[in-house]
Amino acid sequence: MTATTATVVAGGPSAWATAAASVLQVGAVALGGPLLLGLMGKVRARAEGRTGPPVTQVLLDLRKLVRKEAVRADQASAVTALAPRLLVASAAVAAAFTPLVTTRPVVATGADAFVVVYLLLMGSVALALGGLDAGTAFGGMGSSRAMTIGAISEPALLVGVLALAVQSGTSNLPGIVDASLAHPGWLASPQRLLALAALVVVVIAETGRVPVDNPSTHLELTMVHEAMVLEQAGPDLALVTMGEAMRLGLLLGLLANLFFPWGIDASVSGPAVVVALAALGAKTAAMAVLIALVEVSTAKLRLFRVPELLAGGFVLAVVAVMTGLVAR
Amino acid sequence: MAGAPLDLVQLSAGVVLAGAVLALWRRDLRALTSVLALQGCALATLAIVLAVHNGAVGLGVVAGVVLVAKGFVIPGLLARAVRAAPGSRETAPLVNVPASLVAAAVLVVLSYVVAGPLTALFPSPLTRLAPLGLATVLLGFFVLVTRRKAVSQIVGLLLVDNGVALVAFLLTAGVPLLVELGTSLDVLLVVVVLQVLATAMRARFGQFDLDQLRELHD
Amino acid sequence: MLVTAVLVVPLAAGVLAAVLPWRRSVGWAMVLANAAVLGLGVSLAVRADHHQVLVALDGSLRADALSAFMVVVIGAISLLASVQSVRYLEVETVRGGQGRRHASLYSLLVQLFVTCMLFAVLAANLGALWVAVEATTIATAFLVGHRRSDKALEASWKYVVICSVGIALAFLGTVLVYFAALHVPGHPTGGSVLNWTSLLHASRHLDPGVVRLAMALLVLGYGTKVGLAPMHSWLPDAHSQAPAPVSALMSGVLLTVAFYALLRFKAVADGALGPGYTRTLLVIVGLSSLIVAASLLLTQHDLKRMLAYHSIEHMGLIALGAAAGTTLAVAAVLLHVLGHGLAKAVLFLASGEIALMEGTTEIGEVPALLARRPLLGGVFGFGLVALLGLPPFSLFVSELNMFRGEMAVGLGWAAGLSLLAMAVIFTAVAAHGRHLLLGGPGAGPSPTSRLVGAPLVSGLVACAVLGLSAWPLQSLLYAAARAVVR
Repeated sequence: MTATTATVVAGGPSAWATAAASVLQVGAVALGGPLLLGLMGKVRARAEGRTGPPVTQVLLDLRKLVRKEAVRADQASAVTALAPRLLVASAAVAAAFTPLVTTRPVVATGADAFVVVYLLLMGSVALALGGLDAGTAFGGMGSSRAMTIGAISEPALLVGVLALAVQSGTSNLPGIVDASLAHPGWLASPQRLLALAALVVVVIAETGRVPVDNPSTHLELTMVHEAMVLEQAGPDLALVTMGEAMRLGLLLGLLANLFFPWGIDASVSGPAVVVALAALGAKTAAMAVLIALVEVSTAKLRLFRVPELLAGGFVLAVVAVMTGLVAR
Repeated sequence: MAGAPLDLVQLSAGVVLAGAVLALWRRDLRALTSVLALQGCALATLAIVLAVHNGAVGLGVVAGVVLVAKGFVIPGLLARAVRAAPGSRETAPLVNVPASLVAAAVLVVLSYVVAGPLTALFPSPLTRLAPLGLATVLLGFFVLVTRRKAVSQIVGLLLVDNGVALVAFLLTAGVPLLVELGTSLDVLLVVVVLQVLATAMRARFGQFDLDQLRELHD
Repeated sequence: MLVTAVLVVPLAAGVLAAVLPWRRSVGWAMVLANAAVLGLGVSLAVRADHHQVLVALDGSLRADALSAFMVVVIGAISLLASVQSVRYLEVETVRGGQGRRHASLYSLLVQLFVTCMLFAVLAANLGALWVAVEATTIATAFLVGHRRSDKALEASWKYVVICSVGIALAFLGTVLVYFAALHVPGHPTGGSVLNWTSLLHASRHLDPGVVRLAMALLVLGYGTKVGLAPMHSWLPDAHSQAPAPVSALMSGVLLTVAFYALLRFKAVADGALGPGYTRTLLVIVGLSSLIVAASLLLTQHDLKRMLAYHSIEHMGLIALGAAAGTTLAVAAVLLHVLGHGLAKAVLFLASGEIALMEGTTEIGEVPALLARRPLLGGVFGFGLVALLGLPPFSLFVSELNMFRGEMAVGLGWAAGLSLLAMAVIFTAVAAHGRHLLLGGPGAGPSPTSRLVGAPLVSGLVACAVLGLSAWPLQSLLYAAARAVVR
């Protein structure tokens, strides 16, 4: 499969190079995700006038958690153990062939928008099942809330990417990024702007940021994600945090490359990859800082208002698709 | 038409439809008036681009009228009405916001289907954009039917009107000048009439909410 | 010259009323002006009868038989209404404490309203027709709310909002027709694309898909102004709250002026699509209007609201007649337009007089009219008989011929359904009428002033004469029908 892919991408890099690039992408997401989380925490703290923990705090937390003993609820089944692993695995697979550093990742022909979205969805479902498994009230409540949000945000994500797919004539993510590189004028087209607005809403919901969820709250009335993982501890919690951080890195990176593709590598040659890595870091860091700054100045929405926000994102995505269909 | 002018036209048409979605999304009545102003300016931009592209002086005049009437005067009047009335939020629409947004998605798709014959008759980049105008009309209709505040209803009416104007510009680059001017002025007059009525009603009822209009029904 | 005069005379009268402080003589000047419109209309009709199409103002005004007929209808009913206006303003300004300025404004708006309607039926351009119909909404908005009561303001709010939306949809339909006409090879471009004659000429070559969409929007949009279901809800409110002469004008002619627009567009659409499509649309809105009217008439307890629902009923009947679309049916539709206009105007004016005399229009509070006010009661009774479509009034003849037309094109089932709805309406009117008219005299009979009685009686007599023999109009009606029937 990898061999045929390499020949399909005419004149493209060798199978080994693409595989190496994909491994690099997974590594970048695995390391970059926690750093982005740390950066957001730092920016929030600074904006609020505190010094705040260092940017590497999330990584340090992870190291601490991994060393702990695994503790699981008595009633928990294998799902509790499986869910964090599935979350990380799905994020890693998605990261392997999403165009983050290069538009020539391994199995590039299979890097369809639908595949990536469904991989992400698989992670969410696994996490929700994990939350339900222990049978506690908080876990169930968190899972139920997370699914309520996910039920609208996942379709919106799909439709939002579809709007770009309509414009580029392909639902292959590397293909979309290639096409946007070739047509810089597309950035100002109405469907792009609408899709961007929709996807920003979706990414904020998917990564559990204010105003949809507050990652730093442990108030039972408001928490969504934190309630869901309340029963996880030790290495399991480390995996969950890791998985969530990878999703954040993945989604921000995807968003950045779909709308601002400049700097991404298209040939898998040494120096270009280094530049692409730096560009990815800069773009995602800039977005993380923006999100953190908005978070500081925004109040979390009441839970029943969240569907309103997401439905708005969904409609914007639908409108973007239609605009794309009519304004080709 | 192609290149930068077409991009601008597409962008303006997209802004008009996005404005209609925003109007369904936001409950803040002040935000609605800014949405209308934005739509008015987008419509005027579109008309100006078309006028320059076609070398049509009449259309340029229409664009000016649209800019003044729909971009500034009407939103300004509405904004004044919102400031004057207490309670500047749409608190209890007949259909809640998430449901109406989902309905909006359906309406948008519907308009795309309905507009099929238009693009079939004369497939050009401009006629292909007509579904955006139709969708704006449908969304405006939806706002009108489901919202209770007087200002929201006027906004719905104006959304319908902006959608119609968008379709008119896209399909025909402006119907005859007289008719086009008549339309713009009529809308202005209707808004003035409604303003007068709203003021009169506020003078009688203290504040003015269509919920209080319950005397006439069967 | 003649055509221009039709517009100038009522407009000049309105300006006169606005400038002069209101007194009775100014009111009579309005009556005179509207009588002149009727006279001009008749002379237009005579010419049109001789197949003469008059054109004025560089071809922007055009009077064929249909236009001339509508001018006659507008002239006749605005004449009746303006006589009652004199009395309404006199009582209101003296009793109601409303100033003379108010009366001047009222007269100006009424004359503007009449002028807009006349312009609508005389416009050669279907776009100009749209502007005129829209302008009637603006002119009448303040007239509906003229009394400034809570209910009147509510009614005019609803009226303006609903009708503006409807008329916006009609504009969209007009734009689509324009778009279709632009892409007919050899069709003139520029301002004359929407000219009735050239549009009708090109109708065979219009794109069917676009015209289908346009006609649906036009039926919905102008149907709002006509008061056809499902966009009828403004009508009972506006008609019940407006001053009686304005109600008479709105119900008697404004509705049918909007329907006139539909007739014109129907001819264009039929050319492009054949008669089937528009027929289906009109049957749907016509039957649903009849059903709405029949189901809501039973529960009415206000005279003017009851009359308003009758308007919805008759507009439904007219829509069905137009759906049939044969020359006979359309001629009957036009006769019905005139007959219904006269009868409805008389009834609204009578109810206005009742409101002035009794202080209310609640059916329950004005019993035994025949015994207490013989003339008013009699007029009301005969008016109801006319509305029910009983002989000798012209509505009987026109309904009969509309049914014949519907049978001829296979719409017998629709005719049957409408007869069923009319049976329900009959019982409702019988119940209302019995209470309103019959009963023992509480006090002796009190006379009604001749100023009030004259227009009421003459309107009813005209309606009855037309019912006995349509001879003065026969050829005109057929000529008018042929203008929109192929």
